[in-house]
Amino acid sequence: MNPKLISLTINGSTHQVALSPNTTLLHALRDLGHTDVKSGCEKGDCGACGVLIDGVVVNSCLLLAWLAENKELVTVAGLGTPDKPHPLHKAFVDLGAAQCGYCIPGMILSAKALLDQHPQPTDEQIRESLSGNLCRCTGYVRIFEAVRVAAQELGSTLPE
Amino acid sequence: MRDFDLLQPKTLTAALDALAPNDPATRPLAGGTDMIVDIRSGRAAPTALVSLQEVAELRGIKRENGTLQIGAATTLAEFLTHPDLAHQALYQAAYNFANPMVRNLATIAGNINSASPAGDMLPPLLVLDAQIELVSKSGTRLVALDQFLLGPRKTVRRADEVIASIRIPALRPQSPVSTGFYKLGLRQADAISIISVAVRLERDGDTIRDVRIALGAVAPRPIRATGAEAVLRGQPFSENALKESARIAAQECAPIDDLRASANYRRRMIQVYVRRMLEQTWNKTL
Repeated sequence: MNPKLISLTINGSTHQVALSPNTTLLHALRDLGHTDVKSGCEKGDCGACGVLIDGVVVNSCLLLAWLAENKELVTVAGLGTPDKPHPLHKAFVDLGAAQCGYCIPGMILSAKALLDQHPQPTDEQIRESLSGNLCRCTGYVRIFEAVRVAAQELGSTLPE
Repeated sequence: MRDFDLLQPKTLTAALDALAPNDPATRPLAGGTDMIVDIRSGRAAPTALVSLQEVAELRGIKRENGTLQIGAATTLAEFLTHPDLAHQALYQAAYNFANPMVRNLATIAGNINSASPAGDMLPPLLVLDAQIELVSKSGTRLVALDQFLLGPRKTVRRADEVIASIRIPALRPQSPVSTGFYKLGLRQADAISIISVAVRLERDGDTIRDVRIALGAVAPRPIRATGAEAVLRGQPFSENALKESARIAAQECAPIDDLRASANYRRRMIQVYVRRMLEQTWNKTL
């Protein structure tokens, strides 16, 4: 079917892009150069394609790009920069939470969505929040620890 | 992915206009967590999708004369946070549904319309006597969920209809009632049920005034275990009565062998979990 000019706001910048109705948000983002959004199972099982849409974490492989128009999209690169990393970025690096790294963008965005809702999560809430993100390398222990450390770090920087 | 057109109506009237030709190849699109996967795999081949995501009339949860009206577009994530949806069986089923990311997209109407034999929300809705509100250009009809489901991915919904809401009738006043749900999967998240069991139990002193039992993933569609219910209804509570009910439930289902489990295992687990859920719901009404 005919492409339509769609306006996508990604990490604060707005792009006009011509997309066919059958383009998923995942491929729209990657074709725009946002390759920090990973393509894994494309069935909603693995979570590698996670993005924040208006603060809510979803599988970008399951959403048609047209339906993401005029919403705030955030990828893992939108949370910070190498000079000014987000506490989640820093904790994942410090604890060696990434091996191959493919699942990490989705992991961090799931954790971000959790910490926005529950700044002091329980262990159960951390595990639950990461339950849609599959990692085939690490065994999850360091990923889990990194989220806990980031939560503490964010908690200590909250205004009194 | 195969080619299709995508319509984005802003109102229910516009959505129903788009579906009015009653063409099975024009499909309503809710959260898309089944539909997009099905299109990619070739299981679904629509020529047009009518997205319901911007239709405000399908959102929201309200109570009218005690009846709970759940908007079709209510996401599974909302079932975990909305105070009016405090039926334990619904909460537990939503908590075990896929994973948090999928729950942010997937809708209750989508799960019902997909009519999977293992659909997580269906057994709880069966024991709660849920009714499905179907609307089209030619009118509105209410269909009990038990009649709505015909078989694997088959329902009574016509191609020109959309699910507008799910209605759950009020509880009888002053009845101590408890509901529960258990999903047996190969893991805690991201799993398709091996079996699932939902129970709604109403108590009157030492007697089981009323009980409903629904079973998932052990028949072509989620079913009520009416024989297992009948032996308990109006009877005094006893361990032996629960065991007998669970034994009958295992006979009433018709499971298959597949990659997740054998039919035999499924039958055995129905017997175990029906008894446990009966015990649990009874204890919660104490």
